[in-house]
Amino acid sequence: MNFTSPFAITIYAITILALLGMPIGLSMIVGSIGYLWMSGMDMGTAAEQFLNGMYSNYIILAVPLFIFAAEIMNSGSMTERLLRFCNVIVGHMRGGLAQVNVLQSLIFAGMSGSAIADAAGSGRMMQSMMTRENRYTPSYAAALTAVTAVIGPILPPSIPMVVYALVSDASIGYLFLAGVVPGLIMTAMQMAQVAWDARRHNFPIEERVPMREIPRVTWAAFPTLLMPVILLGCIYSGVTTPTEAAALAAAYAVMVSTVIYRSLTWREGYNAVLISAKTSASIGMMIGGALVFNYVVTVENIPETLRAILQGWELTPLQFLLLVNVVLLILGCVLEGTAVLLIIVPVFIPAAQGLGIDLVHFGVVVVVNIMLGLVTPPYGILLFIMTNISGSPMKHIIRDCLPFLGWMVLCLALITYFPDLVLWLPRMAGYGG
Amino acid sequence: MNLPKLGAWLRRRAEDVIVALLLAMFLVFLLQILSRYVLNWPIGWTHEVSVMLWIWLVLFGAAFVIRDVEEMRFDLIYGAVREKTRRRMALVTSAVAVVALVVSMPATWDYVTFMKVEKTAYLKLRFDWLYSIYVIFAAALIVRHLWIGFRAIYGKAPEAYDPTKASSGV
Repeated sequence: MNFTSPFAITIYAITILALLGMPIGLSMIVGSIGYLWMSGMDMGTAAEQFLNGMYSNYIILAVPLFIFAAEIMNSGSMTERLLRFCNVIVGHMRGGLAQVNVLQSLIFAGMSGSAIADAAGSGRMMQSMMTRENRYTPSYAAALTAVTAVIGPILPPSIPMVVYALVSDASIGYLFLAGVVPGLIMTAMQMAQVAWDARRHNFPIEERVPMREIPRVTWAAFPTLLMPVILLGCIYSGVTTPTEAAALAAAYAVMVSTVIYRSLTWREGYNAVLISAKTSASIGMMIGGALVFNYVVTVENIPETLRAILQGWELTPLQFLLLVNVVLLILGCVLEGTAVLLIIVPVFIPAAQGLGIDLVHFGVVVVVNIMLGLVTPPYGILLFIMTNISGSPMKHIIRDCLPFLGWMVLCLALITYFPDLVLWLPRMAGYGG
Repeated sequence: MNLPKLGAWLRRRAEDVIVALLLAMFLVFLLQILSRYVLNWPIGWTHEVSVMLWIWLVLFGAAFVIRDVEEMRFDLIYGAVREKTRRRMALVTSAVAVVALVVSMPATWDYVTFMKVEKTAYLKLRFDWLYSIYVIFAAALIVRHLWIGFRAIYGKAPEAYDPTKASSGV
């Protein structure tokens, strides 16, 4: 490898600029412009790659629409009603509110594709419910909200899986289905850990909701509970593409919040759209930057080179996946998830294909890795959000996350070792891989 | 109207623009679903319009709405250093950004104006109009980074980055 080639210098430049605090998307654009200049290519190529890439990757439009749907759910009272419903179901167990937290994330995961939206949406309310009268320590409540939120993008729908589909050309529909079993395994593990903690620390039991109250609470949450059914039904009956389903999810959330619940004011509605638009623009810049940078990577033939190198090592598919897990877990600690998906993952894809690894299976392994990265220090976005909401020191939250992280690593190991766990459901639906 | 007030007013109008862009994209999608599956009458132009709205949303938003604190970045060093160091770091990054964007501007301009020869498949929209937002975006970024650099020299350091304000949607 040549350490003074234009490509090497580009990598140094992007890394240094990003370390100095330049936004990631812009660092990639600026670095790639430098590459084009050094190799005597047309610098207009940066604009060309950005614009044509955005124009031709239609599926990515699902991202702003899923974000919009989640914002609307959190602005109206959908999340709140869901919490009350979950309390009816599991509140009377030992550690009831902790179980509510897990169950709420599971259902929310079926409507939203973002872990951040789950933590930010239910986090504040869950925090005040769980810490009232010292039921739970603030750090345990915060840790639980953080670790349960990661289920969001593992179960369908999922924004990271849409981004993965963009870089890998794997089918979004099958990717979504492939996340179901791993997501349920992880939820079961979390519930078991909570039950164990509850017995050990004698967590409180919530007062049983009176029988006559149950129909009312269920009815109030019913339109919300229907949402995952409609969403997945539309995708898998072939009525809509996954991208269109994102628009449908947003439309349904708007309708439920305004017409049925009447809980969304104009002001709140405007703010929800504004926040979604800002988030979309911010992600769009990263995607655009990655499109430009991935052009450079392709010109340099990096993924093929890596494939050849890895072939020289004669790795088995399992060893390769373990290697990817280790690399992504380390990178996930210091880098933001979407950046890892857009920059690092594409480099591994030809090698994975060369080893005969199924790209849907690979996608789920990658996304679970990225989700682990959201709750691992020093850069774990969910840890930041929950530190912010709970006011509890981050190191206490991390300490309380640890047992759950152990389970997540175990789940990751399971799905790495047994591809059938991931691929069983897509195959039932006709996936040929 | 004094300058800060005008600035705030302009920012709110810019926010109105991206709100309108996202809503329009949403409505175009609904129209597409409605016409294809309910009226059984597929329309092709919705595809073009929604992608166009997306490109404008990203570039207009990045140029005029998103503040620096709201953009995704790598925080490990930036968040840990003192204000004086952060000012120096901001000076370096803004200088590099300005140089790269200025140097590539003629080529960018050439590319976008060259695209006048191509039109979209359904609506026959000229691509140079559609892509013109990239030139505006690049120009706005040059001005913004000159301002950030200027402030880093004479004024104060950029705001500390707040990772909970920036969201990547994961």
